[in-house]
Amino acid sequence: MVDVSQHKLVPEHTKLDDEAVEDVLQEYNVEKTNLPKIKLKDPALPEDAEPGDVIKIVRNSRTTDKAVVYRLVIE
Amino acid sequence: MQTPKEIGSIQFGLMDPETYRDMSATKVITADTYDDDGYPIDMGLMDPRLGVIDPGLQCRTCGQHSGSCNGHFGHIELAAPVIHVGFTKLIRRLLRSTCRECGRLSLTQEEADEYRDKLGRTKELGDDWSDVMKSAVRQARKAHRCPHCGSPQHDIKHEKPTTYYEVQNVLAGDYSERIAEAMQPDPDDEDDEGVDPVTLANETGLDAERVNQVLAGEFRPVGDDRKALEKALDLDLTEEDMNKLMPSDIRDWFEDIPDDDLVTLGIDPDRSRPEWMILTVLPVPPVTARPSITLDNGQRSEDDLTHKLVDIIRINQRFMENREAGAPQLIIEDLWELLQYHVTTFIDNEISGTPPARHRSGRPLKTLSQRLKGKEGRFRGSLSGKRVNFSARTVISPDPTLSLNEVGVPDRVASEMTQTMNVTERNIDEARQYVRNGPESHPGANYVRRPDGRRLKVTEKNCEELAEKVELGWEVNRHLVDGDIVIFNRQPSLHRMSIMAHEVVVMPYKTFRLNTVVCPPYNADFDGDEMNMHALQNEEARAEARVLMRVQEQILSPRFGENIIGAIQDHISGTYLLTHDNPEFVETQALDLLRATRVDTLPEPAGENEDGQPYWTGQQIFSELLPDDLNMEFTSKVGDTVTIEDGQLTQGTIDEDAVGAFGGEIVDALAKDYSKTRSRIFINEIASLAMRAIMHFGLSIGIDDESIPDEATAQVDEAIDAAYDKIQELIEIYEAGELESLPGRSVDETLEMKIMQRLGKARDSAGEIAEDHFEEDNPAVVMSKSGARASMLNLTQMAGCVGQQAVRGERINRGYEGRTLSHYQPGDLSAEAHGFVENSYRAGLTPREFFFHAMGGREGLVDTAVRTSKSGYLQRRLINALSELEAQYDGSVRDTSGTIVQFEFGEDGTSPVKVSSDDENPIDVENIADRILTSEFSSAEEKERFLGEREPPTNLSEHAEPRVDARAGVESDD
Repeated sequence: MVDVSQHKLVPEHTKLDDEAVEDVLQEYNVEKTNLPKIKLKDPALPEDAEPGDVIKIVRNSRTTDKAVVYRLVIE
Repeated sequence: MQTPKEIGSIQFGLMDPETYRDMSATKVITADTYDDDGYPIDMGLMDPRLGVIDPGLQCRTCGQHSGSCNGHFGHIELAAPVIHVGFTKLIRRLLRSTCRECGRLSLTQEEADEYRDKLGRTKELGDDWSDVMKSAVRQARKAHRCPHCGSPQHDIKHEKPTTYYEVQNVLAGDYSERIAEAMQPDPDDEDDEGVDPVTLANETGLDAERVNQVLAGEFRPVGDDRKALEKALDLDLTEEDMNKLMPSDIRDWFEDIPDDDLVTLGIDPDRSRPEWMILTVLPVPPVTARPSITLDNGQRSEDDLTHKLVDIIRINQRFMENREAGAPQLIIEDLWELLQYHVTTFIDNEISGTPPARHRSGRPLKTLSQRLKGKEGRFRGSLSGKRVNFSARTVISPDPTLSLNEVGVPDRVASEMTQTMNVTERNIDEARQYVRNGPESHPGANYVRRPDGRRLKVTEKNCEELAEKVELGWEVNRHLVDGDIVIFNRQPSLHRMSIMAHEVVVMPYKTFRLNTVVCPPYNADFDGDEMNMHALQNEEARAEARVLMRVQEQILSPRFGENIIGAIQDHISGTYLLTHDNPEFVETQALDLLRATRVDTLPEPAGENEDGQPYWTGQQIFSELLPDDLNMEFTSKVGDTVTIEDGQLTQGTIDEDAVGAFGGEIVDALAKDYSKTRSRIFINEIASLAMRAIMHFGLSIGIDDESIPDEATAQVDEAIDAAYDKIQELIEIYEAGELESLPGRSVDETLEMKIMQRLGKARDSAGEIAEDHFEEDNPAVVMSKSGARASMLNLTQMAGCVGQQAVRGERINRGYEGRTLSHYQPGDLSAEAHGFVENSYRAGLTPREFFFHAMGGREGLVDTAVRTSKSGYLQRRLINALSELEAQYDGSVRDTSGTIVQFEFGEDGTSPVKVSSDDENPIDVENIADRILTSEFSSAEEKERFLGEREPPTNLSEHAEPRVDARAGVESDD
């Protein structure tokens, strides 16, 4: 199997720990469910991701160099 | 005035029939509407308790008169329950997923719990919960026996729109014949000896005697016996039995469904019990919702809904009479079906599979659902798309003397549309003067409103008198006057610049007048376009329009972050002529050029001409419009470098890239670095100056401007002949079978491609030859080089050669078999036989060329027609999908449910109209830093001191540089 996370077009996906999740939710003043979603079967997810986890995605951006996005893992 | 109320929440659900009865103003029992005297009949469809429409009558429920009484619902007691067509799908789902005996959901406890969890999660995530319901129903339908009471379940067949059957497999009536036939030997198969009763008995495990009884038709083999026989003989002994479910059966069934099981399916049993989907009582809409109209001849014409209700009541009565008289079941069922039909069409008259109920004239009735649906329906037609007062529409025409912020409004529009003036100490004299002028002379008034709320019409007769009565606290509806703000719009409103605010300039004649520079944002021209104007009716709206919507605030387009308003067409030709060869002007000429601008003194002259008169250059005159501290450098469309130093154009041509709409550098820089007001002034003045300049030089075009010398024509012919020869060569190679195909193409395709390529080249070289022979000051060349209008290709086609005509991107290949026209031999592959036009437009096309040209032209027309309708629909869908997204104060973009769509607007949190950018840099950081540094420090020395001297990097080793690069890693693609 190809490990897509090593592909240059796949941005970095990291699982956030509970504390970091809390910080993110606090920063944007939202519930977990108001975050954008990502399906569990998405091959870019880290191995140990489970539904309910929050994933931090760091993308290259044309305008800001790096753009950070958070997504909630769903089934 | 009624104060608006805030809506806390809206809940949709089913209504309990008992609630209907409680809310009902009256029960309706007679199908008649009015008696002979014209009075509504009691308990009829026009009962005065249902509300009043005739003026003068009083509502018997609320006591109010027509106009203030909203009307009240009544009800009809249906003789038998009927199905509500709006819920047929949900009814089918519930029938399939619940037990016919005990009414419970056919899921085990574990399954039910699982679906309930899933439902909760889906709702929380804001996804579509009906998907969960569908999958739960699918699961429940699989059960052949109820997991709770164990009774067998049958399949439900739904015959659209409102009939449901239970399908059971039962023993066929001719079972003995079927078995006997299966036991006979197969006549086509000699080895098959058939089955005798004894073997059959052994195989099935039945008594031999039983088998004989079965064969004689005396014993019905059911259950396991039937299955054994079917297996042994490999045949099917069943037939389908359809048992129709009457609405009353379904109602009884649904009443048994426990509340708990409904929650599992996502239904709130407190608000929506499923049995309420089967109507036992029908609400009668208030009279105000179905008013009758009195025709000229005094006859009353009833609303479609009333007609339908009459039908329902009639059938309902016949049903009851027949049932009481003990009519046979067959007749009752027919009447029941008829009642169902009428109630169905009362709700929706466009159900497939049901003939629509028609008016006597044959027109289908417009019933409840038709009132709401579609473009003309209540939502899209009456709520989103209301017709408004204080609006005007007329043809537009150009007026270069107006500012781009202004709009010329015809006086008759200005004296029809009014602005409300609240009379105060400060404006009372003014207000009285307006009233005194009356409604017909222009700055007048049409109405006044006294503090007690009474509205008085100002007429020619009473205006003098009324003017004296006007006091503080009155309101005067005065005519539009110069300087009022109005909203101006041209459809299709595809982007926000399609609706902008303008200041009124009242003018004679009948058209709206615009400055030509606002044509690009509206996409308007003056070939008969009409536009709409809206007068604003309160201070808040006027303030908002002034600050946010005025044309000068919209100079920068959020679509591409550059100016969309700027010089167009003749303005660009004008500035080009003014600056290109930097011509000289004497004092009178220079002042004439600048007479429509604010500039009234000339700078130091550039020099003296032969006559000893001082002269000014075009660049100097242009520079007068620039701010004194403007510095820029860019490449113009013509290709030269434009340099502006301290507000002086020192070199370069001003053309489309400098001042044009859609990203003219100078306009863009002014709008971003200076102010919107400065750029408005600049655009206005550029337009005026350019018009003066083009009038000074003169710019016209005639047929001789596209002619080229004979030797050039000869060169063009030569180039085309060379191409013909080359093509003939190619065809010969092809016919000899020696043409090598390009990768991924057949030989035929390769030939076509090569011919097309060669012909394209031929046209281009014809164009180049033509271009070489045009003078620099040729008006067509001036227009195309400056970007004012037309491209060099247009000139090529006019002077050189029109070139290959194409349909679907290929040479023209259609027409007869193997040839395009009967003028050619079949299989002729030459250029002229496939639509190559070697003449120029000026020379004129041959009939055959003309025909091919028309083919290509037709395709273009069809394409544009198709594209506009397709893209319009696509745009509508996009707008609907994105309309609820909003940028929040924290910089994130969220939808109305609070779900985040972007964490930072556009990833960088910047507005495209506030950032200057070019092709290489999304954000022009250097320029910004430069500007800030200059403004931060009072002198250049101070700035230098702060920045320090920049030392060149110390060269440690020859290998230092590459190593730095290696550490930085590979550069990213984006």
